Amino acid sequence: MRRDLHGDGGRSHPPRLRAPAHRVSPRAIAHWAIEYLLLWGLGFGLSLGVSAWLGDTEAEWLPGWLSDRVGVLPWAVGAAGLLMVTVAPVWRYRVHRWEVSADVVYTRTGWFSREWLLVPVSRIQTVDTEQGWIERLLGLATIEINTASHTGSSEVSGLPAGVATRLADDLAHRAHDLRDDAT
Amino acid sequence: MTPPGIPDEAKTPRVSDSPDVPKSSAAGETGVRRLHPLTFVVGAVRELIALLAAGATGLAVGGLSTAFYFTLVGLGIGLVFHVASWATFTYALRDDRIELRRTLIGRSVKTIPRDRIRGVDVSTSLPHRTLGLAVVHIDAGSEGGEAALNAVSRREAERLRRVLLDRAADEPEGDAAPPRRVLARMRRRWYVYAPLSGAYLLTPFALAGSLLGTLYNLGDDLGLITRERVETVGHEVVGLPAAAVVALAVLALFALPVMSVIAFSLFNWDFTVEERNGSIVAERGLATRRSVSLERRRLRGVELADNPLERLGGVLRLGALVTGLGDAAHRGRLLPAAPRPVAEELAARVVGAVPGPLRPHPRAARGRRVVRAVAPPGAVGLLAVAAGRPWIAAACAVLALLAVPLGLDRYRQLGHVTDGERLSVRSGSLKRRQVVVEHGAIVGWRFRRTLFQRRLGLATLDVAVGAGDGGYPAIDMSEQDAVAFAAEITPDWVRPFLEK
Repeated sequence: MRRDLHGDGGRSHPPRLRAPAHRVSPRAIAHWAIEYLLLWGLGFGLSLGVSAWLGDTEAEWLPGWLSDRVGVLPWAVGAAGLLMVTVAPVWRYRVHRWEVSADVVYTRTGWFSREWLLVPVSRIQTVDTEQGWIERLLGLATIEINTASHTGSSEVSGLPAGVATRLADDLAHRAHDLRDDAT
Repeated sequence: MTPPGIPDEAKTPRVSDSPDVPKSSAAGETGVRRLHPLTFVVGAVRELIALLAAGATGLAVGGLSTAFYFTLVGLGIGLVFHVASWATFTYALRDDRIELRRTLIGRSVKTIPRDRIRGVDVSTSLPHRTLGLAVVHIDAGSEGGEAALNAVSRREAERLRRVLLDRAADEPEGDAAPPRRVLARMRRRWYVYAPLSGAYLLTPFALAGSLLGTLYNLGDDLGLITRERVETVGHEVVGLPAAAVVALAVLALFALPVMSVIAFSLFNWDFTVEERNGSIVAERGLATRRSVSLERRRLRGVELADNPLERLGGVLRLGALVTGLGDAAHRGRLLPAAPRPVAEELAARVVGAVPGPLRPHPRAARGRRVVRAVAPPGAVGLLAVAAGRPWIAAACAVLALLAVPLGLDRYRQLGHVTDGERLSVRSGSLKRRQVVVEHGAIVGWRFRRTLFQRRLGLATLDVAVGAGDGGYPAIDMSEQDAVAFAAEITPDWVRPFLEK
């Protein structure tokens, strides 16, 4: 069982994880962009309201330097939102990858911070596919792979719906066959 | 009514062995049973005591006032309620499941498959013990939820515990008494460790607070507390000479550790960890005696926790990582406070030797720990400066300075190691935690890298485990070490994804 990687002879460079084989669907960019647009649009609206309200009431509990600049708030939120909507989806598309080998599901997610997740098929408890309304419009689906641990549960979003369904069926089947009682 | 204090041991076994129940209970008998008939007495005892106290006070103060009649009516309703809930509740132990049935107006049946049961927890409060009763909690992990039998005779509780947890050992069981082996037992002088843990220092306050609250409410209901009286008390306190107040405060300060020892002993009296056919059983408590059974094959690791004070005293708290155990922080407790060698020996007996020594994490992690410790007070301090609150800013500056050694210690505590069968990771300073996990319990690996970690060549490796918190991080390992560590433990999972 136990093997020491450093004493392995032929391996001279330290081990690194390679990227998983498959990208998600390019339509996922549109999905994330719409999501961010809705979220940050809401944030922008709220901040407009807050700054208008603070401007009217002349809140005395705020320090002077802050209440003078409260008009900047919606523009700051708007700029951040614009950046998120344009940059983050593309960035995420470049990071998000997945692969299912013989007995391990390997995913890479995130953008600013990244996560690599290895879940062996034998430890999978349930496999779900989900489609939100945006995903349904775009023909995408999210597949959720659950183990007994929240930390060890993975989620691949932005898969084409057909691929997701097939993958979920396949995984559920193999998980059933391979399942051992580690949990 | 039966006041607590009258021993009822003689009557109990006869009542519990009601005629419809076969005396020798095989694992698969199908008798439908009720809870113990004395249950409603216990159920009502709490209300009785409160109500009687209120009634007696009412009698003494205002004669047979309305309050007293209300007390009587409340008492009657309480009794009727408890009798009704006793009469409508039955449970049955089937071959493959246990059924809990309540039939009042609607009907509810709760079924727990026996192979889903992960733990059986028997507790006896003082009134329960005087009547020879015990409450049985059945824990069935996430799928089945929980069930409570409140209350059955203690013999029935022991039988249920044995039968429900014993499906693996059904065959050999029956002839000889189940083997019992004491793995660890609390020593007298360990109770003195209580003040170190901090948590028990606060218990007296909580107890005093709830006691005062109850007294106040009770007095208020009966009209004992008036504005004048409260004011009089207030004036008396203010009127005390300063020396007396200081003396009182000092007294309280000295009383705190003593109180914490008392509270600790109350909860953890005679803490005993035993092995009984396939289960680890932890018993504890003085007034309420609680015993928790943990199925051995679901026990996949241990957690060794301490704080800086306990570290100085060489004391540890030991907990178990059990798959699918709810309320693990309380139920999984294996030792509340014990010298390190004892705790490590018990850990070795329960899951195997604690691997060591831990491998330290790279120097790059040190700066990150310090920055993360200093950042919160620093940020608040900067905000305070911007808002023109110098006092808050000064306090934050002091905190930020104190956070530097804290961050350094957090770095020193980081570590990971594997001995080929179990891995161990450690982190934290104020609440340091070292976790030992069997390799077989790992359900996945998660590598996390923020932008800053990527620049420093660091990665946090989360060990996903289907027990305890679900995941334990090895914070800020070097990137290669993290991958090599996972690959060493589960080569089949990691190797296919390594760069060639």
